[in-house]
Amino acid sequence: MAVYLMGRVVGGLVTLFCVSALAFFATALAPGNPAAVLLGNLATPERIATVTQQMGLDKPLPLRYAIWLRQVLEGNLGTSNLSFRPVNDLVLLALPPTLEMALLSLLLAVLVAIPTGLFLAQGKDSWWARPLSGAVTLGISVPGFWIGLLLILLFSVTFKLLPSGGYVPLTRSVSGNLRAMTLPVLTLAIYLIPALVRFVRITAATVLREDYIDTARAKGVPPLRILLQHVAPNTLITTVTYIGLQLGVLISGAIVVEVIFSIPGLGRLGMNAVLNRDYPVIQGVVLVAATGYVLVNLTIDLAYSLIDPRIRSR
Amino acid sequence: MSALPADSVPNDTPSPNRRRRGTVFFYLLHRSPVAMGLVTLFLLAALFGPWLAPYSMTDTNLTEALQLPGRAHWLGTDPLGRDVLSRLLGAAGVAAQAFLIVVVIGGVFGTLLGLIAGGLGGLFDLVISRVIEILQGFPTVLVAIVVVALLNPSLTNAMVAVGLAAVPDFARVARGVAIQLREREFIEAARGLGMGEMRILVSEVLPNMTGPLIIIASFDGAQAIMWEAALSFLGLGVQPPVPSFGSMLREAQNFLAIQPSLAVTIGVTVSAIILGLNLLGDALSDYYDTGGK
Repeated sequence: MAVYLMGRVVGGLVTLFCVSALAFFATALAPGNPAAVLLGNLATPERIATVTQQMGLDKPLPLRYAIWLRQVLEGNLGTSNLSFRPVNDLVLLALPPTLEMALLSLLLAVLVAIPTGLFLAQGKDSWWARPLSGAVTLGISVPGFWIGLLLILLFSVTFKLLPSGGYVPLTRSVSGNLRAMTLPVLTLAIYLIPALVRFVRITAATVLREDYIDTARAKGVPPLRILLQHVAPNTLITTVTYIGLQLGVLISGAIVVEVIFSIPGLGRLGMNAVLNRDYPVIQGVVLVAATGYVLVNLTIDLAYSLIDPRIRSR
Repeated sequence: MSALPADSVPNDTPSPNRRRRGTVFFYLLHRSPVAMGLVTLFLLAALFGPWLAPYSMTDTNLTEALQLPGRAHWLGTDPLGRDVLSRLLGAAGVAAQAFLIVVVIGGVFGTLLGLIAGGLGGLFDLVISRVIEILQGFPTVLVAIVVVALLNPSLTNAMVAVGLAAVPDFARVARGVAIQLREREFIEAARGLGMGEMRILVSEVLPNMTGPLIIIASFDGAQAIMWEAALSFLGLGVQPPVPSFGSMLREAQNFLAIQPSLAVTIGVTVSAIILGLNLLGDALSDYYDTGGK
């Protein structure tokens, strides 16, 4: 088991290293001299040369990467080229809305998708199975951000029930926070649900074909109890891993939703940084998101090996 | 990529004998007329859009801005007075380009990686599987952000990021089929005839995985169109005034309260195209699962 865990940790570190290199070189090789950008109107060739030296931009690239990596490992993501504020502060400020939205929508998606998927697998011959499968295919085909626009149209424009954007911190007003979060969370959840239902249905259908299910049926265990006691636990473990791997989809979706609903989260920070060519912020956002992605998947792997003895013995 | 169903790839080993030409077409037409109809309309719009469009796709006319669907403009006009139908026809062409870029990048690199990993095995398999695992599920939008930060916002740059996300899907399928085929008799026979491993992979294994690869192309192509819309919506893809479903929806969002039908029309169009491709993928899976019966 120790070997398995070590392998996972090393794999995660390799991924992070690749991402950090990608983030650094992609932005370091981008056109434009950051020193000239920093100086703006004050730029003269001599000043640019001085600042270039001060910022260490005259050093060879691999060395700059090493210096940057050391700085990052010490917990310093640098300074924004645009607002001159520390990237650490910007990221810390942007994290709460993103995390809240991601966690709430994931929770909602799981609560809806797992029962739906289980019942769809169990009752694949029922009259409601076909329309429900059709709805899932339709759900997979509809762009998530368009759902967001439709929700705004319905709840903000037509019925004027909920705000069409913005963010209220939990510390200021709980009800205001929840009102502002409802539509974004709903949009993101609706985007996640169809693929998750599809996955749970397929996994549960495989479990339902196992011999021990036949045994349980032969013993006269009622179908609902089979579903809850035998199928659900065996489906859950695979589903949790799937969700971990789908975290990338969640991150991508969160970025789009933040832009639609003007939520000052990590995604919008990154988007604005790209449009303004604010490279330290781009690097910071990419690194933080990638670290979150690797950490969550690592945690799932570890938890998974603690729960399931078949993996522990590997 | 994301919404790929695990059952889209047939588990049984594909048959090495070729089926008669034309059978697939009639099977699909019978099994899923909706899919064939939607995909045909999409192809017609993408190929002949510029000739079918009743108006210019980019000329603005502010006196005719935000009109409802009517006789002059069948689907109304956008905030700059451009004909929505003409722009949707143009956007279909952009979506088709997105489809092509992603399927070509994902298909070529993914199939090659999967073929080598599954066909040669050993260290190749170990390393490539690890690379696939890392690529898989990595946030597409983040990759697009990095690519666009390095280069410039454009359709090609955005779709390269999406194409990278499609590589693992093709690689997984190609690897799976290659492993199944490796020990089959006709491969043994080819080995016995003295063919090299690489030549066996290309001339014996590759032709037998076209079915599963076409299924993946259909699903990932649908995803590509969705990502193109999302990235253009964010301003990372096609730049104005070129019409794209995403950039059109972005413009429509600002006028949601004044002219809601605009966002609805555009969204229904792009959803219909993606639905058609997804249904086509489902029907193709059935075809290869059942052998066309």
